Amino acid sequence: MTKVPAVHRIALLFNGNKIFDRDIIAGIGEYLTSTRASWDLYLEEDFRCRLQGIERWQGHGIIADFDDPATCEALSRVHLPVVAVGGSYADEEDYPKDIPYVATDNFKLVKLAYDHLIEAGLQNFACFSLPKADVNRWAQEREKAFETLMQRDGLQGHVYRGVGTNAPSWDTTVEQQIAWVRSLPKPIGIIAVTDARARQLLQACLCAGIAVPEQVALIGIDNDPLARILTRVPLSSVIQGTVEMGRTAAHLLHQMLHGARFSDTRILVPPAGINVLASSRHEARNHPHVMQAMHFIRQYACQGIKTEQVADYVGVSRSSLDWYFRRELGRSVHDEILRFKLDAAKRMLQHANSNIADIAVSCGFTSVQYMHAVFKRELGCTPREYEEQQLASATAQPAIQIPKKKAALASSPTPALQLTEPTNGN
Amino acid sequence: MACLFSQMTHFTISSTPAEHGITLYTLRNANDMRVTISDRGATLISWWAPDRYGREADILLGYADHDGYLTNAPFFGGIIGRWGNRIANGRFTLDGIDYQIDCNEGPHHLHGGEGGFHLMPWTVQTDPEGLRLTLASPDGAAGFPGNVLASVLYRLDDDGRLSIDYTATTDAPTPLNLTSHGYFNLNGGAGDICDHILSIDADQYLQVDPQLIPAKVAQVAGSAFDFRQPAPIGPRLAWPDDQLRLAGGFDHCYCLRQRQAAPDQSGRNLQALREVATVYDPGSGRQLTVSTTENGLQFYSGNFLDGVQGRATEAYAVHDGFCLEAQAYPDQVNGPEREAVILRPGQVYRQTTAYRLTVRG
Repeated sequence: MTKVPAVHRIALLFNGNKIFDRDIIAGIGEYLTSTRASWDLYLEEDFRCRLQGIERWQGHGIIADFDDPATCEALSRVHLPVVAVGGSYADEEDYPKDIPYVATDNFKLVKLAYDHLIEAGLQNFACFSLPKADVNRWAQEREKAFETLMQRDGLQGHVYRGVGTNAPSWDTTVEQQIAWVRSLPKPIGIIAVTDARARQLLQACLCAGIAVPEQVALIGIDNDPLARILTRVPLSSVIQGTVEMGRTAAHLLHQMLHGARFSDTRILVPPAGINVLASSRHEARNHPHVMQAMHFIRQYACQGIKTEQVADYVGVSRSSLDWYFRRELGRSVHDEILRFKLDAAKRMLQHANSNIADIAVSCGFTSVQYMHAVFKRELGCTPREYEEQQLASATAQPAIQIPKKKAALASSPTPALQLTEPTNGN
Repeated sequence: MACLFSQMTHFTISSTPAEHGITLYTLRNANDMRVTISDRGATLISWWAPDRYGREADILLGYADHDGYLTNAPFFGGIIGRWGNRIANGRFTLDGIDYQIDCNEGPHHLHGGEGGFHLMPWTVQTDPEGLRLTLASPDGAAGFPGNVLASVLYRLDDDGRLSIDYTATTDAPTPLNLTSHGYFNLNGGAGDICDHILSIDADQYLQVDPQLIPAKVAQVAGSAFDFRQPAPIGPRLAWPDDQLRLAGGFDHCYCLRQRQAAPDQSGRNLQALREVATVYDPGSGRQLTVSTTENGLQFYSGNFLDGVQGRATEAYAVHDGFCLEAQAYPDQVNGPEREAVILRPGQVYRQTTAYRLTVRG
């Protein structure tokens, strides 16, 4: 006879509209799947946190996001086992007292972003933060981490908090952001305290014609897919160890339900990785014409632009722009446009059941045949074969392997292209 | 310095004489990745590899000079034999005969005893495939029976894969369990290994007693030992766990998932070569992938490194390096599957373990 394990009633107090909280909940779920722990989970139907009456709740334990001081306060009156999760603090005094705490290591998140910008060759640095508020103390902790690193390295960092966004003041907000970026020395590496914040700044840069990453190399925190989808230039980001935080919190509560007490246990979880995409792939390209052209190509390559349009945007002749490109990059403007289109098509082919014709259109190829020819010449295979290779290598990877395809592909140097677009206008 | 004696498609080997009659051999692949191996102990000395930005660093721990390798208490980089890991009380019974072998860790045998393979001068043999080192271990060495002839072949390919092929024969039955004891730090020593993210393809591991002798098989599920999904080492070390407390960190053997068991003539229940573990360092982007034909993988989080003066200016601290040692189970010679770790005359011991170094992101 197998013994039926006792069912525990566990409340998860999180704000599921944040990617951070969602991934922690996912980690809790992963832990439960891997063990025989049997928990009934109490979550609001919209996955948001509501504290009213929590002290009267008849359950066995709680895991809660303590970034909001209201949660901290409400749970101080609760006598159930509670595990807190949230951001790390530089100052010991800022942690909630007598409660096990699982933290994302704010200092290491910022340090990973900073080290990346240094390696990209930048020498000026700034931090785009948030207006100070009780509910975003993590943003201030990230600012502090940034300032500590600046001090350590004897650098003058620039911190900008801006204002909170709302519809009526939206235009002013963007103007202020643009004014701030314009006031900074260039080129500069900017760490935004979240991807949401990074996305706003990226958009402001694009509005103002400030080239990313040539003039502003930008990196956020969270690796939020939504922020990535909503930007024309793919956004680099630091990946938090949120799933592991969820597993850790669930493990601690699991032990506490069986009598263990961990009031002074504090576990700091380092970042899980970094997703380096175009927004921070700064290379020391000095000629302003090339920088401006790259900025335009990056945004519009997939809309079928030609060298003329790029030259018009930069304000020089087609032949002189080509001359600058060949000198700085060793390839023509046309090659560079094609390289972006090919990369975009390769990314799209990683998803199963993709329609080749749709991909050709959305990546700016004039025809399926032309995309086919580009693939054959550059990669030695057809788009379909490329897709099959990618899927095969994805399924051949054992379950333990960390997904890496996107980063690996994005970072693989593309060979110089020597294709010329067919002139028959097909 | 370099006396080039072999030039192949994939890599070159050069040799450099050093003090104590030691010679260093360097394997170099087409991407200029370099692995240096000493003929003393067939020891991995250095592995120079680029990070995601192309900066090179040595991702192995070791000593600054060869004096350190003459005793090598932490077993830096050595080939371990005849027996990797522990044998309880240094005792076993083979074909009705009781043996008492060297006890060099308290009352127990560890890593081949005082005269382990990692301290021996190995002989380099010309081999078209890579660097082959052989060792004749005489009857009675460390108390083990039989004259054993062991051989390892190191190869470095252009994908960054360092393969170690082991073979051994004997003229009398003897327990045999070989492993490689490289200490890795994927950030090249810029910090400890606590932020490294580890995954191990194992559902079970061996819990140990207070003297680190395996006591029972336990499920990893729900514990700090569950690395079936990638998890950072540092936070796991902070999980409250009796086994971690006993060993001062991770020093435990994982029972790797078995795939396509291919029992060879020695009955060792060898596995097909398969990926069993990865370690990723988000800071440098370096990733180490371990593949092996073995059933066990000892994960050691460098718990006893504190104060060891290595090649860095400052002495090593606890958790400055980690080991992933592919092997049979510790003390298996005294367990139910003992016959699988006995090498008999006419049989050939075989193992392949590969460490592949790449960069991500």
